[in-house]
Order: sequence, then C-alpha cells, then structure tokens
Amino acid sequence: MNKEKILSELQKIVGNAFVSNDPAELYIYSIDPGASKPRSVNFVVMPASTEEVQAIVKLANEYKIPIVPMGGGLTLSGLTLPVKGGIVMDMKRMNKIVEINKLSRYALLEAGVTTGRLQAYLDKNYPELQVSVPDAPPSVTVAGNALINGSGFLTHQHGDHGAMINGLEIVLPNGELCKLGSCGLSDYWFSRGPIPDLIGLYTSSFGIMGIVTKLSIKLYPKPKMRDLVFGLFKKTDIIPNLLYKVTSTDLVEDILLGIQGKPDWMADYIFIISYITGNTQDELDKKEKKLKKMYRKNGARFMKAPPRLRDAFLEKPQFAANAADFRKGGGFEYVGSFFPLEKVPEAIEEGVKISEKYGIVPTLGARIFGATHTVMVFFTYAFNRADPDDIQNARDALKETNEITLKLGGIPWKGELEAQKMILEKIDPQYKNLLKTIKNHLDPNGIMNPGNWEVN
Amino acid sequence: MDLDEFKEIIHRCFRCGYCKFTHNYSDFNCPSFDKYKFESFSTGGRMWLIYALMNKETEWSERVANILYSCPTCGNCMENCRFEKFNTFLVDIIEAARARAVESGFCPERQKTLLERTINPKYYNPYGEPNTNNEDLKQKYNLPNQAEWVYFIGCTSNYRQQDLRDATLKLLKSAGISFTLIDEHCCTSPLIRTGQIEPVEEFMNYNIERIQETGAKKVITSCAGCCRTLKVDFKKQDIKMDIEVLHTSELINHLLKEGKITFDSEINKIITYHDPCHIGRHLGLYDAPREVYNNIPGIDFREMERIKGDSWCCGAGGGVKIGYPDWALEISKERLEQAKKTGAQIISSTCPFCRTNLSDANIKFAMGFEILDLVEILDKIQITAHKK
Repeated sequence: MNKEKILSELQKIVGNAFVSNDPAELYIYSIDPGASKPRSVNFVVMPASTEEVQAIVKLANEYKIPIVPMGGGLTLSGLTLPVKGGIVMDMKRMNKIVEINKLSRYALLEAGVTTGRLQAYLDKNYPELQVSVPDAPPSVTVAGNALINGSGFLTHQHGDHGAMINGLEIVLPNGELCKLGSCGLSDYWFSRGPIPDLIGLYTSSFGIMGIVTKLSIKLYPKPKMRDLVFGLFKKTDIIPNLLYKVTSTDLVEDILLGIQGKPDWMADYIFIISYITGNTQDELDKKEKKLKKMYRKNGARFMKAPPRLRDAFLEKPQFAANAADFRKGGGFEYVGSFFPLEKVPEAIEEGVKISEKYGIVPTLGARIFGATHTVMVFFTYAFNRADPDDIQNARDALKETNEITLKLGGIPWKGELEAQKMILEKIDPQYKNLLKTIKNHLDPNGIMNPGNWEVN
Repeated sequence: MDLDEFKEIIHRCFRCGYCKFTHNYSDFNCPSFDKYKFESFSTGGRMWLIYALMNKETEWSERVANILYSCPTCGNCMENCRFEKFNTFLVDIIEAARARAVESGFCPERQKTLLERTINPKYYNPYGEPNTNNEDLKQKYNLPNQAEWVYFIGCTSNYRQQDLRDATLKLLKSAGISFTLIDEHCCTSPLIRTGQIEPVEEFMNYNIERIQETGAKKVITSCAGCCRTLKVDFKKQDIKMDIEVLHTSELINHLLKEGKITFDSEINKIITYHDPCHIGRHLGLYDAPREVYNNIPGIDFREMERIKGDSWCCGAGGGVKIGYPDWALEISKERLEQAKKTGAQIISSTCPFCRTNLSDANIKFAMGFEILDLVEILDKIQITAHKK
C-alpha cells in the first residue's frame, strides 16, 4: 500500500484538515466502547458531500484499500472497526437536514445527521411530528441506527428503524450513485415501493454493499401527552400472554420489559413498562385504568413508579449508556437478540443464568416490535475497561449469549464478527450463496468493510 | 492536581458523546469538536487518548499535544456529560494532561510564552507588559492601604481593557465600597489552564499575602478567569485563605437588592448577554448578571438562543487565543452571529477576556456591534449610592 500517495489523494478530495493518518486519530478510531479488541486503521477521512464519498470509493477501488463507513461509532460491537485495515469514513460532516416533508411525514437527511439533532430540530420546528428515538446516545446517526435495524420509542407501533426507511441514496462499491425507493423515480422520498425493494440489502449488512449518503426516514404524529404505566410480576411464563393481550389493543405506543439485579428490591421482579400517549389527561387516565386491569387479569400488578424511575424511562433518548458505569469502568456491550414472542421467557431465564455465571449483575430488557411480531431481548454486560480480565469475561458472556440465542431460534442483533460467523454457520446455505453472489457482484474488489458477513 | 490522581476515573468515560451537545442536542456545542470533527477532538476522545498515554498504548507527539491544547476549557463537556461521578473533573483532567505535556516537553510554543512572560520579574503578567503596582490608581482614586475589599483587577483588565478597569473603579467608588488595590501578580489562570503549573503556588501565595496585608476579607474581581481561579483553583491548591471572592456582577446585584444603589438614568439600547464560561458553567453564576441588566432603565435585554449552560464559548480561554488565534476569532464569530439574531446593538459580557476576543472578532468580521462589559454599560448611567 502506497500510504503517502493515498494520503495525498485523500487530502485532494476532502482537504488536509479532514483526513488523518496520525497515530492519535488512528488510535481513537481503532477502538470502540464495546468489548471488541482494537483493530488497526490506516486512514480516517471525513467527506462533506456525496461527490467526495464517490471519489473516495473510486480511490479505494484503485488502490484496493478497504473502506468502513462510520456514523456515531456506537454500535458497541466493533462494526466500524476495520477487520482488514483501511479507511474509516466518518460521515459526520454530511450533516444537513435536507427536507422535512410535513404532509408525507418524512425527513430527508444526509448520513451524518445525529438522532439528537433531528429530535431537537423537529421539537423546535415541527412540534406535531416525531421520529422514533433509539435507546442510544444522541450522538448516534439516524442513518447508522436505521441501517443496523435499530429500534426506539415507536417500534411497537411501527417496527424497527430499518422498516422506517423510505429511501436511500447510496454510493455503490464501484463509486456510482444509486437511489433506492420512490426517490429513484420521483422527487418525493415518500415510499420504498411498489418496486422491487432493494433497500433491505443495506440494512444489517454493515456497509458491505455500499455507503449510504442520504436517507429518508418516516416521521409520525406526536400526541401532546405521554406517560407510563408500570407493572411487575415474578414469573417469566406469563410474558407471552401478557404481551399478546396488551398488544391486542391500541392502548400503548411502546412496551418495554426490564430485569435488573440491582437494587435488591428489583431483583425478584420483571417489570413491564407501557408507554401511553394522548391529547388529554382524561385520555391517559382511561388508558391507564384499562392497562391496570389488563395487568391484573394476566398475572401482573400495577406499580406506582418512583418519580426518578418514571423520569428516566420518559426521557428521550433514555440514558441507556449509564450501564457503562455499572462496574465503574466505562464499558458495556450487549447482545440484543430478536426472538419470537414464545421464546422470550427462556431467553430471559438463560440470560440471567449467564449473567450470574459470569459474575455480572443481571441487566436485561426487552422491546416489543410491531405488535409482538418480534421481541428484541437485550442482555447487557458491563465491564471495567481498565481490567483486561473483566473485558474478556464480558466477551465470554457475549459469546455464550449468542450461542443460546441461536439455539433458541433467535437472531443476534448487530452481531460482532464472532456472532456473524455463528449466524452464517447456521443460516440456510442458499441464503449464504445468494448473499455471496450479490456481494461479490457489487464489490468485486472486496473493499467494502471486508471481514463482515464473510462469505467469500 | 496530578494526572495520576485521576487514574481511577479516566477510563470510566464511555465516549457516549453527550459532552459534545447542547442540553437539548440541537447542535454540537463543544467548539473543538465542532471545528475539528475527529472523535479525538471530543472530550471523550481526549479522555481515551489520555488514558492510552498513561498506559503507554500511544505516545506523546505534537498532534496529541495539539489535540489536548485545542480546547478552550469552556466546560460544555462538564455541563452535558451524564456521568455524575466524574463529569465535574473533565476539564481538570484535560488541564492535568496538559501539565503532563509540559513535563514531557510537548507544550506548544505559543502557549509557552504565557509562562515566560508571567514569571519574568519585569512583567508578572502573561501579556509581557511592565508590571504596575497600581499605586498610581490608588492615588488617582484616593484609595486607602487598608480596606474591607480588594479589587483584584486582573491582567486583562489592567493591561488590555483599561476602560473596563476604570469603569469598575468608578463604580466601586460611586457605590461607596471600602476597597483598595494591591500590587497584584497574575492570578495564574493562564498557567493552570495551559498546564504550566510550576510557579502557580508561589504566585497564589504572593497574591494572598498582599490581600491579607490590606486587612480585607473580601475580594472583588471583574474577570471571569480570575474569579474562577480565586474561588476554585486556590482551594484546590490548598492555599490558606479566609477570604470571600465575588464577581462584580454578584456585588452589584447584592447592592441593588439591598437598596444600597439605584440606577437613575436610562440607556435605550438593545443588549444581549454573553455568559463567560469561567463564571457560567464553571461557577454556575448565571442569574446575577441578568438581574443587573434587567434593572437598568430603558434597556431592551434580549437573550440569545444558547445561554447559561448552553452558552457558546467566546473561544478565548484555555490558551486558545494565544495558541490558535485565528480559530479563537472563528469561535467568537459564531457567537456574534448568534447575537445578530436577537437584533442586539450591544453584546455585553462580564469578562475582559471575552470582551477582548468578541471585540477582535467584531472588528475582523465587521459585524457592527458595540462590545461592552456590564460595568462599562453601568458607567454610562447615573448611579446613586444610598446609606442603609
């Protein structure tokens, strides 16, 4: 690799200030806050436009150097750490909110727009609209989160964030530009179809199919009021029926489950948190009353939440990153696994056992997607970044959780390299062949985040 | 504090990125991250780099030093970091890492001049101006040797913003405050902020001794940097002092509330207020200046969008003005543009260093504002003292 030449070419494309191969930047971009081991980076580059992204991709093809696109860099599973070295393309300079279409309810964004900024922008300028806010820090990007099938506060009603994508502008692995969704033939980025839906190629594929430079994400009406109805129960076996019953109504906007080993009073319970919304207090009161009854009838009981807990769950985004300090150590990673509803009790029981086996306070939860079409169960493993043994302990717990997930019929979400390998070992061989065919055809030089979904 | 004293908490930064934003996430509010964009230039990136340096996972270099020094220590990270166990230490950690850079021979050249000038017996100030013992001012304003208060002028007011200094002196006189001046040396804020800490204790002890010689139990300062240093850093340095420190805006507000002064003429201007980081986010002093402005007859006081904890830094602090002069002005330009949206004619602040940088940017970018400190505005109106 002619590093000097590549550096000089990258500088010509984005300007000297926005490319670095200095060890200081390379260090920071070689390591993420999850449990993945550091992986080496050769260059960090920050394009400001689609044209610059295209030029960089063409350059990467010329020199056969890998490119790894990065949004907020907070997947926690090392998805933006290059497996085979190369260029990390940090998208944050592409930060324009291009359009808010109020009537058709979508936001057209460049790939570097953060969830925090979009949320604040809507609150200020379009208070009647909302975007589904993920349980992630506000520094994650809307595009990055949607492209890993993230989830958030409207997921029960509308599915995961990948499902909320209306359209994508993509720089293909050969540097050509492609628009997917209605934007491919219309000025309006309002719909994925009705045309062959290729957007799915770009979700959970972690950049191996090209680099997304713009996306249209769905927006939703925002009711004036929002509250929570907490419930609790002890036995996991009531979960499927309880969730099925609650989601059989249109009472709730969103539903979470929570299991926490600390503080002690929480340890014996599973919590259900139903988010209710409305335009009047009367509307909320009626929903709360119905939910209390529903909880009672299905084996749970209502709990008046302490104000601090209530505020924490109502906050958008939730401060989920606080798990990073559970072991006073600045690190956590979680397996968020997608399960069918009927497997959730076992998944939770196994997750608690794994936590206890590895000496980690059980911290699990679940989010309901699209009226129980999917339940994402997350198993959180905090670790102390200053203690290599503790990091390895978290890695071991993650591995075991991935194994259990697959055994139970679930699928690890945004899996790190090892999880991806496990999935590929289990997946239908023809699925793998199809993936390989598409990938090799699109990216014959193998420059797009190579090492992820390795099917070559 | 030595960097090693933070060893048990530095690695607790998760790099979640809350530190980059305003409270409501509307935009990045960390001037350094906003400018340089690399993750290494966020506070989280700096924490991780500092930890890597301590563990020898990476090495000192000019680039690393530049990453550490290109931060105006505005405290936006402390304000927005969600981890309450360590967010108050973020700027302290950066300053301690700068001290380590100095020890390792990586203090940038421009910042070094702050130390060279300050320890020079001809100057004792970071501007390299001949030191004044303030006796001429004492004579001019007929100030005693012994008094209830010491007005700690600060180097920027004394050597760069004399109008602000003189307005403060006149105000204190007209309010009937018993005060005096000392032969002050630099408060050491520029040295602490840039990690050049070797002479700090000696300078602090010198200033405290001079203050104590006057019999004063209270110090007033019109400089946000001096105020933060006297209120916070002297204690951190374990300097023995039984002295109350007030910023001018606090004192004026007290006097107003106690009815000891009244404002008796109008100023018919549209004014917006820039919160200095070193009394704002660093000390939480937001309301006193606003209460004073709102007591000025005739004033049309308008707030900018980013205020108080969300205030956009002027860009002068933390050694940025001397180290990165062009960037310092770019940061101020951003603030001036925010002020423009209010329709203000005057941008007012309560810090001579903010005043300097905002004024420099105002001239360079022809923004057309009048930049005045609060006390300079008060200098334009009739103030009456009342015996109570």
